[in-house]
Amino acid sequence: MAPNDTLVAYSLPLSVVSPVDLGRLIRELEALDNDLNQAVISFPDNEPKMPITSRLLDEAIAVNKIVPQLAEDRKQLIAYLWGMKAKAPVLHISFSADPSPLFTQKLLVWLRQEVNKDVLVTIGLQPSIGAGCIVRTNNKFFDLSLRKDMLSKRGLLLSEISEARA
Amino acid sequence: MTIWWLYLILGLLGAVGTAFVWLIIKINGQGVAPKKNAPGTIEEAADQDVEHIFNEEFREELRNRGRLHFEKIIGENAMFLQQDLRLTTSQLNEYMKTEITSKLKEEFAKYEESIMDAKQLAIESIQKTNAAIDEQRAILGDQVKGEILAEKQQLVARFEENMTDIVNHYVLAAIGNQIDLNDQLEYILADLEANKKAMIEDISSGA
Repeated sequence: MAPNDTLVAYSLPLSVVSPVDLGRLIRELEALDNDLNQAVISFPDNEPKMPITSRLLDEAIAVNKIVPQLAEDRKQLIAYLWGMKAKAPVLHISFSADPSPLFTQKLLVWLRQEVNKDVLVTIGLQPSIGAGCIVRTNNKFFDLSLRKDMLSKRGLLLSEISEARA
Repeated sequence: MTIWWLYLILGLLGAVGTAFVWLIIKINGQGVAPKKNAPGTIEEAADQDVEHIFNEEFREELRNRGRLHFEKIIGENAMFLQQDLRLTTSQLNEYMKTEITSKLKEEFAKYEESIMDAKQLAIESIQKTNAAIDEQRAILGDQVKGEILAEKQQLVARFEENMTDIVNHYVLAAIGNQIDLNDQLEYILADLEANKKAMIEDISSGA
């Protein structure tokens, strides 16, 4: 289904972290939409039964407070998600180790509150940075790692070594 | 009168001259005649006597005596000459020996002197060379010391720079795995907060 320009004020659930999660949500929602539409066509007299959905879709439905049995709600949510797929800003953040889901969630909360409410994050792994993170936006690169911090304070370390040697 | 006297004197002179010529011719005619040895003269008899007294045997005897006497004189002279020659030879040997010895001594003295001069020159040259070598060694030593010092300082500086990298690497390797990401969250959020404005501007630009 093509994205719709008339977007309703929906929001992304916290479980949708990366564009991959968003694509998975879109595919599942479109499949649900197809199933329910087929059920309505096949059994117009009966109310369609909701299939078992993933936690991702459940959370999206809960956050946006839609009724999944209603085709219009599903259509609008799919259009919103397609719009997010096309336009949502994406931050690439690399850590020295794989972050836990709780850590990712806290980080995402902060980003969606402080930076952009629709921001998506792709997580990378760079063990050489020691601690901290490296953030890359569309045009900029922010090295917030401990390695960069130590390199910037290299002169201080050098002077300390010289003093110790003297 | 006078002319008559003159004729008279000239006539007298002519007569005297003619008489002189005649006299000379006469004298010459008498001197040539005795040279002719005609047989039977006294000279011829004397010659015959001489031939009789000094005949061939007597002459041979005289020759033998002369030859013996000559040989004797020759032998004596040869002996004297030999003695003189030996004496002269010995003297010559002595002279040559003395001369050669003196010359050799003189030459050896000159040779020794020249060797001493050469030795002195060589010693002076060696001393100068040693002095120059010492000087060059001192200069080279100073240069080497300076270069070693500069190299040492450069190595120390490079070592210290590398030391910072080593320390950083060590700290990152030692601490990196020990710090939990959850513990870093506050630090990360603080850094993100510090760069929030730049991120928002970049996201808002939409490029």
